Amino acid sequence: MTKAIEVEGLVREFRGDIRAVDGVDLEVDRGEIYGFLGPNGAGKSTTVRILATLLRPSGGRASVAGHDVVREAAAVRRSIGVALQDAAIDPYMTGRELLRLQAVLHGIDRARGRERAVALLERVGLTQAADRRVKTYSGGMRRRLDLALALVHAPEVLFLDEPTTGLDPISRLTLWDEVRRLNEESGTTVFLTTQYLEEADQLADRVAIIDGGRIVAEGTPERLKAEVGDPSLKVTLGDLHDMDAAFEAVRPFGDPVTGSRPGELTLRLPRGAAAVAEAVRALDEADVPITGLDLTQPSLDDVFVAKTGRHLEGEAQAEGEGALAER
Amino acid sequence: MSALALRQTAALARRSVMDTLRLPQAWFPSLFFPMALLAIFTGSFGDAPGNVPGFPPVRGFLDFAVAGSVLQGVLIGGTTAGAAFAADIEGGFFDRLVASPVSRTAILTGRLAGGIVLGITQTLLFLGIGVAFGVDVQAGVLGVLAIVLLSALLATAVGGLGVVLALRTGSAEAVQGAFPLFFVLLFFSSAFFPRETMTGWFRHVADINPISHLVEAMRDQVIAPIDAGTVVTGVAIAGGLAVLAVAASARALHRRLGAA
Repeated sequence: MTKAIEVEGLVREFRGDIRAVDGVDLEVDRGEIYGFLGPNGAGKSTTVRILATLLRPSGGRASVAGHDVVREAAAVRRSIGVALQDAAIDPYMTGRELLRLQAVLHGIDRARGRERAVALLERVGLTQAADRRVKTYSGGMRRRLDLALALVHAPEVLFLDEPTTGLDPISRLTLWDEVRRLNEESGTTVFLTTQYLEEADQLADRVAIIDGGRIVAEGTPERLKAEVGDPSLKVTLGDLHDMDAAFEAVRPFGDPVTGSRPGELTLRLPRGAAAVAEAVRALDEADVPITGLDLTQPSLDDVFVAKTGRHLEGEAQAEGEGALAER
Repeated sequence: MSALALRQTAALARRSVMDTLRLPQAWFPSLFFPMALLAIFTGSFGDAPGNVPGFPPVRGFLDFAVAGSVLQGVLIGGTTAGAAFAADIEGGFFDRLVASPVSRTAILTGRLAGGIVLGITQTLLFLGIGVAFGVDVQAGVLGVLAIVLLSALLATAVGGLGVVLALRTGSAEAVQGAFPLFFVLLFFSSAFFPRETMTGWFRHVADINPISHLVEAMRDQVIAPIDAGTVVTGVAIAGGLAVLAVAASARALHRRLGAA
């Protein structure tokens, strides 16, 4: 059986020389949840738009559910469900009306469309709100409706472009549960983009980390984290001006990088957590006052840092929200 | 067109009509401005424009002007339809359509059919209001049907033009920006005064302005018994514009999808 998604040397240029996607190769097995993790502007949405037949590739090839996205676009469209970023939902229509319209777009007959609407509203917990206009829905409700819209024809492959960006932690967890359940019960392949490492970590069977239009790492979340391996120490300085001195002081114990917030540095500890005491003592001897210390085991953000030297954008706020779920 | 494409057209038309009706900002201008203008003109010119040189024999200014209001409403309504299509592109509904297997034709025909339904509804409403204030459509039911046909064709032409602008710019503001152009066309036409009262260059502009011929084709049905000649002229002009606009919008859609 063919793979759910096959991508080879995919390139997309905009206005001549901007390469939003710059030679992406990937394969997604049927029934897999595949996470596409990267910061804003990394090329995630462009890749999804190509796979969903909304954009044409400038180079390379891609197939979804066994159909080429350019030559067999119509067949691809019948096989996929798409929930794009900034859910495009008519505020003046009700959830039920939108689902029934979506059913017509997929050529589903009237009676079946009505049944599907009822079943899907139930599934995503919107039965109570079914006949209210979407403008009265909360952000989480809109995303759940968007998911239901993408499922109306029971697609083989589901594309979710940043499904939880901007959602509160509880709505995010609800949506994760829904995606997991869908994948387990119906075997739907899910291709999910996200800028939240939590999301990729919790949800995806395999993760690709994309930056600057290229995949910089790929594998199961466990394997990626194990590759980075070392625990890291986050140090919050009392004074921003001490950053250079702090870098000098801790360099013997690992490789320091600036943290995601000002006055923060992160130090990978190749010798393990035992080096914490020495590092702290070195900072003290260098007269660098510290206001916070945090020892963490590797996360996908560390994988990202290891590959790109930078932190994932948006992690600063996501870390606080996701912290509970991870520990 | 296949049965499925027709069903999809109907569903998308229904959505565009409901979207318009549920948003007062969308339908209020096309209702209010023509009616306000009609009330002001009728109030100022009273009952006997027949005494004014150049005016055709009519019973009152309202009989003369109601066709101009119908046409004005269709122009505004058509622009709104184009702007709504652009809003779909901006908001992402268009992407949802393109990523689904919906008939590509239905993407256009759905929006245009919605505009036609609204245009016809509004035409009947304006005529109804006119009748309530004493207008007597001289050409009777056939005359009303002719006016409705002209409105439907004009709604298609203006809607199609709006769709072209929407597909080219992807901006609802750009489409709304074209609206003053229609107003200029309307004022340099015989929508409010007969061409016979105009002189000089103004008269020349009104003579070549297709809006003049359309409004006269509508007006003749109100103020005189049915006259096949003016109806045929009007239908030929409006139909020609509609065909051009639909062809241009199909081309614009093809280009947009091809260039994606």
